[in-house]
Amino acid sequence: MTTVKVDVHHLTRVEGHGNIVVDVQNGELKQCELQIVETPRFFEAMLRGRPYDESSHITSRICGICAVGHATASLRATERALAITPSPQTVMLRKLNFHGEILDSHILHAYMLIAPDFLGVGSVIPLAKSAPDVVLRALRMKKVAGDLCKAICGRHTHPIAMTVGGFTAFPKLAELREIRERLIAMRPDYEATVELFSTLKFPAFERDTEYIALHKDDEYCFIDGVIASTDGGTWDISEYRQVTNEQIVPHSSAKHTKNQRQSYMVGALARFNVNYNQLHPKAKDAAAALGLQPITVNPYMNTAAQVVEIVHCIEDAIGIIDQLLVRGIKPEPPAPPTRMSGTGAGAADVPRGTLFHEYTIEDGKVVGANCIIPTGQNLANIEADMRGLVPTILDRSQQDITLALEMLVRAYDPCISCSTHLLDVKFE
Amino acid sequence: MTNTLILALGNPLRGDDGVGAAVLQALQDKPLPDVTLIDGGTAGLETVLLLEGRDCAIIIDAAEMGEAPGTWRRFSPDQVRLEARDMHLRGTMHYAGLSEALALGEAMNMLPPQIFIFGIQPEEIGWEIGLSEAVTSAVPAVCAAIEETLRLQLEM
Repeated sequence: MTTVKVDVHHLTRVEGHGNIVVDVQNGELKQCELQIVETPRFFEAMLRGRPYDESSHITSRICGICAVGHATASLRATERALAITPSPQTVMLRKLNFHGEILDSHILHAYMLIAPDFLGVGSVIPLAKSAPDVVLRALRMKKVAGDLCKAICGRHTHPIAMTVGGFTAFPKLAELREIRERLIAMRPDYEATVELFSTLKFPAFERDTEYIALHKDDEYCFIDGVIASTDGGTWDISEYRQVTNEQIVPHSSAKHTKNQRQSYMVGALARFNVNYNQLHPKAKDAAAALGLQPITVNPYMNTAAQVVEIVHCIEDAIGIIDQLLVRGIKPEPPAPPTRMSGTGAGAADVPRGTLFHEYTIEDGKVVGANCIIPTGQNLANIEADMRGLVPTILDRSQQDITLALEMLVRAYDPCISCSTHLLDVKFE
Repeated sequence: MTNTLILALGNPLRGDDGVGAAVLQALQDKPLPDVTLIDGGTAGLETVLLLEGRDCAIIIDAAEMGEAPGTWRRFSPDQVRLEARDMHLRGTMHYAGLSEALALGEAMNMLPPQIFIFGIQPEEIGWEIGLSEAVTSAVPAVCAAIEETLRLQLEM
């Protein structure tokens, strides 16, 4: 009988560290866990007592990859708590900004974290030697995405112009025109991206689960909307706790979540499955080329769904800029609070899935705060996938089983904890 | 005139990891020659894109050097070994930090000819905003050393 023990410490190529522990004894799966370090437990402590307009600036520092995402969810929570209605221009600029961050993160994940697995090189560094054109393309696309964010919010890792009720600085129309030209020039690069990822052979593993994403009827939703499930049902964002149902599990310091089944998935594949109809036509073409259709239940295809979203966000960003160029951008003061106390939840579908922030504010100061990150919501589903996958691959070598599990976890693009940026230096 | 970037890296939510941002803030009040100041936060591989096309980059970051807290050193990437560190118990590092970005930049031949890293030894990098006393007291000296580095650059 098969006995396999997989113990991967510090799964590389995810944003943070995670340990995979799988124990198969005599063909029977005894243990199958993704052990992770921490979701932001410090969250409330960092915000409590602070003026309401500092929350987005503080929380944007939680993650260098989802800084705009945290800022957006934070602003929406504060604006709901204080009954602030942002202007149509603010809503458009936020959408455009958000597209920049989705592009930036997906390009990083697909090209620099996933492609090396499929192209048989250990990481993006050897890939830069063996296929410099591929890495150059990724960097070229990433630069446009970063510059898009920079034009609107400052820089995407530090979005200082985003504030409660609106923006403190505005892009010039000339800047938007320039970004628009560069987005149009990106089309050959996204076509090459679709082509590259359509040639990669994603592992054929399927497991049906519940997919959760924000949803609007009239657009492919990243900000606001309602919470929607492929199992049916929608919830107002204020009801997010009814969907997430956080619970403590023994082996992880992060809580697990479940809605209508034992687990659910958030992220690009979940958005694709929930919101396929709202995708840009060119993104639907990309999906067809990648062999994706709703409802796809192969978690490895999350990367393919990210490529679809790359196409969508480029095309939709061009469309939003076209609208802004017609209506013009006027420097406007942020919309003011209409009350100084209240509770509000905000949600944004960030690169890794649905992110919730909720604040209680009294007399302009934060007195309570909650945050549920996408990776926390995916943990139970990743483990369920691992339990489904392991018995089907027991005939493989230990090394191959380990790689299959690592690739599965990486497909979810997990952000396992929040980062420092400490260098470790040895003087020689 | 050289095309010089001063790049602060680090997370101000993690105690002394915010030293880069603190140094950058202090530099903003000083009369500097024509340089670009960027607070990169926890930028990962995109650091390559910030460095690309520059003649000179000055990078300020908290660095584990096995020294007393607040000790700072100036070094270039080829003088040191930069390693990913096991921070498992204290949270984590991003997979892709400066050392990976520099490796990628090197592989792609995209790095500035001159890179100076100012590493400051942290005392505490838990979840807390604000620098320790030891690291706070290092900020003026690091600023002065950066100004001196810029001055020598201009004379070259």
